[in-house]
Amino acid sequence: MNIPSLIVQYWPRLLAGLALTVEITIISLILAGILGLVFGLLSVSKRKGLRGIALVYVDIVRGTPLLVQAFFIYFGIPQVLGIQSDPVVSGIITLSLNAGGYLAEIFRGGIESISRGQMEAARSLGLPYGMAMRSVILPQAVRTMTPALINQCIITLKDTSLLSVIGVTELTQTGRLIIANNYQSFEVWAIVAAMYFIIIMILSKISKRIERKMSYGKSKN
Amino acid sequence: MGKVKIKNLKKNFGDLEVLKDINLEVKEQEVICIIGASGSGKSTLLRCINALEDASSGTIEVDGNDITRADGNINKYRQDIGMVFQQFNLFPHMTVLKNISFAPVALKLKTKAEAEEAALKLLRRVDLEEKANVYPEQLSGGQQQRVAIARALAMNPDVMLFDEPTSALDPEMVGEVLSVMKQLAKDGMTMIVVTHEMGFAREVADRVIFIDEGFIVEEGPPSEVFGNPKNQRTINFLNMVL
Ligand SMILES: Nc1ncnc2c1ncn2[C@@H]1O[C@H](COP(=O)(O)OP(=O)(O)OP(=O)(O)O)[C@@H](O)[C@H]1O
Ligand SMILES: [Mg+2]
Repeated sequence: MNIPSLIVQYWPRLLAGLALTVEITIISLILAGILGLVFGLLSVSKRKGLRGIALVYVDIVRGTPLLVQAFFIYFGIPQVLGIQSDPVVSGIITLSLNAGGYLAEIFRGGIESISRGQMEAARSLGLPYGMAMRSVILPQAVRTMTPALINQCIITLKDTSLLSVIGVTELTQTGRLIIANNYQSFEVWAIVAAMYFIIIMILSKISKRIERKMSYGKSKN
Repeated sequence: MGKVKIKNLKKNFGDLEVLKDINLEVKEQEVICIIGASGSGKSTLLRCINALEDASSGTIEVDGNDITRADGNINKYRQDIGMVFQQFNLFPHMTVLKNISFAPVALKLKTKAEAEEAALKLLRRVDLEEKANVYPEQLSGGQQQRVAIARALAMNPDVMLFDEPTSALDPEMVGEVLSVMKQLAKDGMTMIVVTHEMGFAREVADRVIFIDEGFIVEEGPPSEVFGNPKNQRTINFLNMVL
């Protein structure tokens, strides 16, 4: 069978796989965003203990392969707790924790890139630390972080394919299952690759737009 | 009664003793200019007064409140102490109007409408009314510093601290900032100004303070400190800068 007819025949399954990929990516990134913000803030804290907590988390995430993290969360932890684990839930937890670690570093870098004078100016007006961070530092930090944030989104999207090994029927696993039926490895992987590629290109285009809109004052005046 | 009362203030960074024993009382409506060599601790002293640095020991009272023992109240106290920085430190993601009105609104001291009206008035005072809706990056250094002064004034502070407010400016912009400060002094603001502008100190200061190696070495009216300095180190310093 040629590629067009393969696409027609398997379209519903491929689309479902892609949908799950996108869904897992979005949910994981939202959770990772929260984790990244929280641990990023901890890592710029004045308190050593809080910085230490963030450091340990980031080091664990960076110091172990994603695949091992997925196995640990899908097989390891449920065994100890004596519970049945769900591949999708385990996958989302894995990607959230993983991306959260990298996002924490991105947040830390973004916050530290803002000159100290900004925080001091805000505090000298009587703003509490949290308010100064939220209204003065973070809005500026996020602007400088935008390219790195978008990059992490793309990485996490691609990382979902690793979840095929714990049986999540996202796009890659869907490809494997189709090939198990029809043995057309070349054609099916070409289709799967093209689908990832298109989604990521769309994401990159959108992100270029956002980046352009983000420079100060250019949109107004 | 003193607006600012500093007693036995010491500040060290690790082993480095920057302020060794500072005693200073600033009266209401008084304008103090602090002079001294680079690294003598002038910025550190100003930064201690609004707790951007924690004093190592001693007390700093502003309007009767001891800043060094402020704990959770520090935010409240800081509202009454305006600070103008060498590098302006305007918020680049906010318009000029927002820079000025943001803190009073965020701290629920004013409604947005009230704060913006007050901000426009302040902009008129620093002669930048037409710049209300632009972003800081579109302003010259002198204009940015005038906005920064307006931003500090928006909190209705009791005292204004200036840390070399004109040092980062091109020479042709120094005058516009100094004239805003002169006007402020005339209007009766209590001011503590770290500056290398000896002309300004001579003209505007009620008292000039020379800091060296962590101590106030000489203080008095500008005519005395500049005209008839008593301490050898003051004489050396003035010979160098004048
Ligand atoms: N956060 C800090 N940590 C360690 N040392 C510091 C810190 N801040 C200032 N110092 C040191 O304290 C001394 C006094 O610094 P300060 O900035 O108060 O001097 P200054 O009189 O304002 O000098 P300048 O005219 O150059 O602004 C300097 O030796 C400086 O290196
Ligand atoms: Mg200084």
